[in-house]
Amino acid sequence: MTTTRFQELIAKNEVAHARRRRITNAVMLTITGLLTLLALVPLFWIVGYVIYRGGSTLNLDFFTQLARPLGMAGGGVLFSIEGTAVLTVLSCLFAIPPGVLAAFYVARNPNTPLGVALRFGTDVLAGVPSIVMGLFIYTLIVVPEKHYSAWAGGLALAILMLPVIIRTTEEMLKLVPHTMREASLGLGAPEWKTSLSVMFPAALNGIITGFLLAIARSVGETAPLLFTALGNEQYDLGTIVRGGIQSHQSLFAIIGRIINQPVDSLPLTLWKYAQQPYPERINQSWGVALVLMIFVLLIEIIARLYVESRKRALQG
Amino acid sequence: MSKFLRSFVFVIIAFSFLLAACGTSATPTPTSAPANTQAPAATSAPAMPASTATPTPLAPGSITLNGSGSTFQAPAESEYAFAFPLVDPAVVINYQPTGSGAGIKAISDGTVDFAGSDAVPTADQYTAGKDLQMYPFLAGATVLTYNIPELDPKGPALILDGNTLVGIYNATITKWNDPAIAKLNPQIASKLPAKQITVVHRSDGSGTTSIFSAALTSFSTTWTAGSGTTINWPADKAGNGVGGNGSSGVAAAVQNTPESIGYVEYSYATSNKLPFSQMVNKAGQTVTASADSTASAMNDFANSFTPQLTNTIVNGSGAGSWPIAGYTYIIIHQTSMTDCVKASKLVEYINWILTNSVATARAKALGYVPLTSAVQQLALATLGKVTCNGQPVMTH
Repeated sequence: MTTTRFQELIAKNEVAHARRRRITNAVMLTITGLLTLLALVPLFWIVGYVIYRGGSTLNLDFFTQLARPLGMAGGGVLFSIEGTAVLTVLSCLFAIPPGVLAAFYVARNPNTPLGVALRFGTDVLAGVPSIVMGLFIYTLIVVPEKHYSAWAGGLALAILMLPVIIRTTEEMLKLVPHTMREASLGLGAPEWKTSLSVMFPAALNGIITGFLLAIARSVGETAPLLFTALGNEQYDLGTIVRGGIQSHQSLFAIIGRIINQPVDSLPLTLWKYAQQPYPERINQSWGVALVLMIFVLLIEIIARLYVESRKRALQG
Repeated sequence: MSKFLRSFVFVIIAFSFLLAACGTSATPTPTSAPANTQAPAATSAPAMPASTATPTPLAPGSITLNGSGSTFQAPAESEYAFAFPLVDPAVVINYQPTGSGAGIKAISDGTVDFAGSDAVPTADQYTAGKDLQMYPFLAGATVLTYNIPELDPKGPALILDGNTLVGIYNATITKWNDPAIAKLNPQIASKLPAKQITVVHRSDGSGTTSIFSAALTSFSTTWTAGSGTTINWPADKAGNGVGGNGSSGVAAAVQNTPESIGYVEYSYATSNKLPFSQMVNKAGQTVTASADSTASAMNDFANSFTPQLTNTIVNGSGAGSWPIAGYTYIIIHQTSMTDCVKASKLVEYINWILTNSVATARAKALGYVPLTSAVQQLALATLGKVTCNGQPVMTH
C-alpha cells in the first residue's frame, strides 16, 4: 500500500486547497454577515427609536381624546385614528372594484389594444409621485366642490392603490391553472360565472394580500392628503353620530357628514405636529409615528395570518 | 369560512359601486340641506339681528368653519378652536397650518371658509381672490437668535442695529468682531471672536421672511434684495448663507452652527428658550422684543392701514418700539359668501377673537401681542360691513 508520488502531490494539493477554501469561506461569510447586520441596523434603529420616543407619550387618553390646545395636559389623536379608518375604508371602496375588474380584463385579454394600454397605464401610474394624485383630485373635486373632504382624500389614495391592486390581482389570476378555467367552460358555465366562481375564489388568497399591501402603502401617505383631506383636529365619529341621532338626521345625512368634511390621518398629523416648534407637539408626533407603525404592522400580520390559514385550509 | 369571505368581498364590491354611482350626487345634499332650509329665513328677514337669523337652534357641531394657512398663528387658532365651541356649540373650528401662501391660495379658490396669513397678498393675489378682506387679530415680533460660543449665555445679550443687521445679511459685515458690532456692544466687545458669521434664513416661503425683509428694506437703502416671502439672499451668493426649513429648521441650523445668526418668531424663541439679540431702534434706544415693545410699534403705525387693513409695522419711530414686527391676519371673502348661516358664524367667530378677553389673554400667554384698541375698533368696523347675498351679516 504505498502511495505514489503523484497521489501524495494530489493529497497535499487538496489539503492546501481545502485550507484556502475554508479561509475564503470564513472571510466571505463574515463579510456577508456584517453587511446583513449593517442593512438591518437602520430598520432596528428606526423601530427602536420610534418606540423609545413614542412609547412615553402613549396612554389611554392618546387613543380616546381629541387634540387639546398647547399648554393643556392630556389630549390625544382620536381624530387622526378615526380619520385614517374612514380614509382607508373610502379608498378601498373607490379602488378595489375598478381595480379587480380591470385585472380580470387584463388577465383575460392581455394582448388586446385596451389590455396593453391598461398594463402600460398601470405601470406609469405606479411611478407618478403621490403629491400629483393630490393635486389632480384638488383640481378635479376640491375646487369645484368648494371644500376639502374625506371622500376627496379617499379618492386620491384610491388612485395610489389602483396600480398595486391591478398588478397583484392580475398576477394572481394568471397563476390559476388554465385547465380549471377550461374545465368550467367545458362543463357549460358561461364566462362570467367561470370568472366569478372558479377564477376568483382560486386567486382570492393573493388578491386579498394585494389589497392589504395596497392599504399598507396608502395608509402611510401624507402628500396626496395635503390638498384633499386637509386635516381636522375636531373630527369625532362619536359626536357626529350622536349629534345626527339627536337631531333626527337620516342615515345618509350622517354618512354624508362623516365623509363630506375634512379629516386627518396619522401621517398627516405626524407631519403637522413634527413641524410645530413646541416640544409637546413633537413628543406627540413621535407617539403618532408609533401608532402608525403598529397600524401598518397589524395589517401585515393579518395579511400573513390570513394567507397561512387559507393555505392550510386548501391543503387539509 | 372561505364562502363567507367570498360573499363578504362581493358585498363590499356591490356596495361600493352603489356608493360610487350615487356618491357624487348624494354627498352634497347633507351640506346643502341645512343651508337651503336656513338661507330663506336669513334672506327674508334682513333687518333682524344675526342671532335671530337662525330661528331654530342648530345641532351641536353642525357647522364646521374650515381654515388653513399661516403656521405662525396655528397655536392661537388651536386654542380658539378648543374654546369657541364652548361659546357656540353649533360651531366647529378647524384650522390647518399649511403655510401663508397655501392659505391665500385656498381662500382664493374658495376651498376654505377663512385663511390665515402673516404675509400681505400681492396685487395679483387680490385680483385672483376678488373680494379678499384681511383682518389683523394678533401681532408678533421677529427676533434674531444667535450662537456665539465665546459669549456667556447668562451675560448681556448681543445688541444690533438696523444698519449692522443689513450689513450682516448683505455679507458686508462678515466677522463678529467687526467694528460696527463691537461699537454697539462695549460690554462684550472683547469676547467677540474674529470668526466668520454664518447667516441663517428660511428656505421655505414664509410670512416671517416677509416681515424680516420688510424691516431690512426699511433699515437701509443698501438692502437691495427687496422684501417678500422668499428672497434671493446676498449672503447665499457670498457663500456664508444657510437655509432652514421652517422656524424649527432655522433654530436647529443656528444651534448646530457656531458663530451663526438667524431670525425666528419671538413666540418661538421664548417657548424654546433660544437666546435672542436686542436691537437699537429708529429712536436710538436699545429695546428688547416683548409684548410692550411690539405694541409700541403698532401704535407708531396706527394710522397707516390700507383699505384691506394691512399694515407694515417695521422700524417704528417710537422710543420703545421693537423694529421687526408684523401683524398676522385672518382672510375672508367680504362680499361673496353665499351660505349666510356659515357667514354669520364666521363673523361671530372673528368678532369673538377680536373682543373676547379670555381669547386675548390666552394668545398673550402663547407669546402673541394683542391688538391695540384703535386697531381693534378698525377691524370691528370692517367686520360690520361683511355681506352675504347682498345683506349685512352683522346688524347689531
